[in-house]
Parts: sequence; structure tokens; C-alpha cells
Amino acid sequence: MSPDGPLHRLDARVKLIAAVGFVVAVVALRPGSWRLLGGLAAILAVIVAASGVSPMRLLTRWLGFAVVVGFLAALTSRSLAERTGLSPALVVADLLARNSLAIVMMMVLAHVTPWTKLLGAMRRLGLPAALATTLAFMYRYLFVLRDELDRMTTARRARSFRRTGLSFGTLAGLIAALLSRALEREERVFEAMTARGWDGTLRTLDD
Amino acid sequence: MHIPDVLINPGPSIATTAVGAAGLAYALRRVEERHGPRATSLMGMSAAFVFAAQMVNFPVGPGVSGHLLGGVLSAVILGPWAGAVVIAAVLIVQCLLFQDGGVTALGANFVNMGLIGAVGGYAIYGPIRRALGGRRGILIGSMIAAWFSVLLAAGAFTIELAAGAGREDFFRVLSWMALVHAAIGVGEALITGLVVRVVLLTRPELIEHEGEGRDEADRPFARAPGWASTIVAGLGVALGVAVFASPFAWDRPDGLEFVGERLGFLPEPEAPPILAAPMADYQAPVPPGLGVVDEVKLATAAAGLVGTLVVFALAWTMSRVFVAGDSRPDGVMVDVA
Repeated sequence: MSPDGPLHRLDARVKLIAAVGFVVAVVALRPGSWRLLGGLAAILAVIVAASGVSPMRLLTRWLGFAVVVGFLAALTSRSLAERTGLSPALVVADLLARNSLAIVMMMVLAHVTPWTKLLGAMRRLGLPAALATTLAFMYRYLFVLRDELDRMTTARRARSFRRTGLSFGTLAGLIAALLSRALEREERVFEAMTARGWDGTLRTLDD
Repeated sequence: MHIPDVLINPGPSIATTAVGAAGLAYALRRVEERHGPRATSLMGMSAAFVFAAQMVNFPVGPGVSGHLLGGVLSAVILGPWAGAVVIAAVLIVQCLLFQDGGVTALGANFVNMGLIGAVGGYAIYGPIRRALGGRRGILIGSMIAAWFSVLLAAGAFTIELAAGAGREDFFRVLSWMALVHAAIGVGEALITGLVVRVVLLTRPELIEHEGEGRDEADRPFARAPGWASTIVAGLGVALGVAVFASPFAWDRPDGLEFVGERLGFLPEPEAPPILAAPMADYQAPVPPGLGVVDEVKLATAAAGLVGTLVVFALAWTMSRVFVAGDSRPDGVMVDVA
């Protein structure tokens, strides 16, 4: 990810704390505080503009979440409506709006902060080192395993005539094969790491 | 299944974050004690695997597909606490990188899918595996555990979502969640069973851990049948039953009040198509004259009953087919000896 905006260069800890603080503020907001909500939305709009994220991309991703959130909001809206004196439709709108602010903020955070930087920030803010290292390791092999899966799917497709979809059994076999390959790879990687002096602590140049 | 931000109240959000953090800290310690410097690579790779496996879409119907959740699968392969750590890693990446599940709901999601899904699922798997024994026990145990883990997680989801809200909301949410997750649970049981079956056929040592196991000490439930595991399993089953029974136990307000309350409220929302899939057809036809809530309750109970029967039947059939095809070498060896 190339640094293409002022937000990319900011210290990851600042970004993480600001983003999570923003989300907590949005979550803690009383339903129906439209003015405060508008203020937070304006702040978010400025941040989105500064981050250089394409608004179209935000919108399409947001739409996927909005359906589920709207459904859950509708399920719980009634008692919230009684408590706050708003109409159920307004309660749903309020929940959706606040959730959207939180989701867009986290999307922007993910866009302007590379995962390794984010992990480093979380570690310095108190995330247990073992968990941080596990997350770094997971991220490293996430795409490797995804590619492995793609290759296996392609190979399977190449061997089955005219069938666009694969059967449940085949797909489960694919997952089982992936599991077995992943654990084999882990063995090799762990042995290679041990040979290079791995003792369970990750040392990076940022330290 | 991932709870988004804002939908659970601050109270339950803080409570589940505290419980989740404590649970994760304990799980991490158990895993580190057991695996030492290997913990990182084992957990990291397994988490990457679960994440990738969740991308495999199982076609359910036109335009609808489901995927593996993987809590019980990772617990069966790695042990309950390692399974919980794996799920935690998956949830953190999903939350921070893909905004799937809210930051303030991360604790709740981990409690549901990591602690209840993986550790709780293992508590159900362990006794069944021991009771039935052998590969049949592993297969049936993992399938039933997968089914219950989804239901228990859905029950916990409901409690968190409706905590602080009214009783009626609670039961409405519970009905929908149970209905939808009865379907998802059958899918999870089926996929978990199919994967476990192939692993047992190709790399049985990954699950059976004969001799020096990968993490035999990490499995409190795999050793002698203790009271604790029996109680936990019993509790799990009871909770699963409660999820379905509770809509009936709901003493609803008297008729007039009930009708009055229902008037002026939103129509019951339809389940979104992503979730409704395989069991959508079987909301059993209900006698006319019952309220919408009654319909939902009936459908929930039907979903629970049918779902349970389907999972047991599936598990049994698969184990029969599987064991019949697989036990022959043992039999031959016994004959020769």
C-alpha cells in the first residue's frame, strides 16, 4: 500500500485510538441525538475525503452490511422505541445510521493503515505478544492458503466436464485437503523458523 | 452471525468484552503452555486455514450459499482452547480488515463463536466421542457438536442482542434466530462431518492422536470421563433444548393486551435471503387464526425438531457408510492374526 495521503503517514496508534474512540462514541450515543450524529458524520466525511478512499467502494461494501443490520435493527426496534419515545421506523434509521458511521470509520482505518503497522500499534497498546505474533503469522499465510485453494479448485474444475458448481462432497474434500496441506506447511515453516533461532518472540525493525 | 456495532447495548457490550478478554487470555495461556514456541505458527496457520475455508461457498439454492464456520472443526483438530484462539484470530482479522462484526461487539462475537462455539462445542463432542468410541464417535460427535454449537451461539447472540430490551423483543429475536440457525446448524454439521470424514480417511493421525498426541493434555474432555465434562455436555444439550422450548414457555399477556400491543407495530420482517435458505420451505403450515408470533413459535419448534432429527440421521448414516467402508482392514488383520 503506497502512502498516498496524509492519513497514511500518521502513527498507527493515533489512528487506531481515534477510530476506536469514534466507534465507541457512536455506540454510546443516545438514540435520536440527530445533531450529534450529524456532527460525527461531518467529521467522518472530512476523514473520508482526506483518506482518499473511493466513496463508491465504501458504498458497495456498506450496502452488503446494511441489509443484515437493518433486519436485526427491525427485530429489536420495538422496545427501544417504547423507551425512547421515537417511532420504530426512526429507531431503525438511527441504528442503521450509527452502525454505518462505525463501519465506514473502520473501513477507512483498514484502508489507511497496513496490517503490520496496525498490529505493531495494538502490541504497543497492550495486546499480548503471543496473540499479535499469531495474527501476523495468520496474515502472512492467509493469501498463501487462499491461492492454494484457488489452485485446487481450478484443478478440480479442469477434471470435471461441464459442471459449473462442485458438489458438497467435493467441496468438503477440498477443505480437508487444504487443512492437511496447511498443517504440513506449518510443520515445514516451524522447522525452518526453529533452524533460524525462533524462540517464540517476534523481533521487528520497528521495535 | 457476526454482531455489528451499535446493535447490542453498551452494558452487554462491556460485559462480553470483559468475559471474552478473560477467556482469550486463559486460552492463550493454555495453548502456550502446551505448544511453547510452536503455538504461534500452529495457531496462525490454523486461523489462516479457517479463514480460507470460510471462503468456500457451498451452494444451497438459487442465489444462496453457505459456508463453514469452523469452530468445532478447529476444536476437534487442535483441542478446545487452541480452537478458541484460532477463532479469536479469525474474528479479529475479520473485524479490523473486513469490518465483519463490530469492534465493540468483538467480545460478544468471541464469546459466542470462540468460547461457546469451540470450547462449548468440544464439551459436547468429547463425551459423545468417548461414549461411541472409534471413528464413528469422532464423526457423530463432531457433527452433533457442530449443530449445537451454532444453536448455542445463536442463543447467546439473542441474549446479548436483547439484553436491556423488553421480553417480547427477546422472544421475537430468539424465534427468528433459532429458526434461521437451525438451518445454518444443519449446514455446519453436514460440512463439518464431510470434512472430518475425509480427514479421518486421509490423515487420521490429525484427529486421533494415537501415542503422543498433538495436544492430548490440552483436552480436558478427552481423558477419563469426569463429572465436569458430563455436566457441561448436559448443560449444553439442555440449553439447546431451551432455545427451542422457550418460545412455548413464554406466558404471553392476555389476549386483548396482546392484540393492542401488536396493532401499530411493524409487520414481521422477512428473514434476508442470505440466511433463510435450506429450511425456508418447512415453516410448517399453521392453523389459521394464530398470531404471527404463534406462527414463528411453531416454526421455531418445527425447525428445532426437524433440524435435530436431520442432524442425527445424517450423522448416523454417514458413520454407517463410513465405518462400513473403513473398518475392513482392521477386520482382515484380526482375521489373519
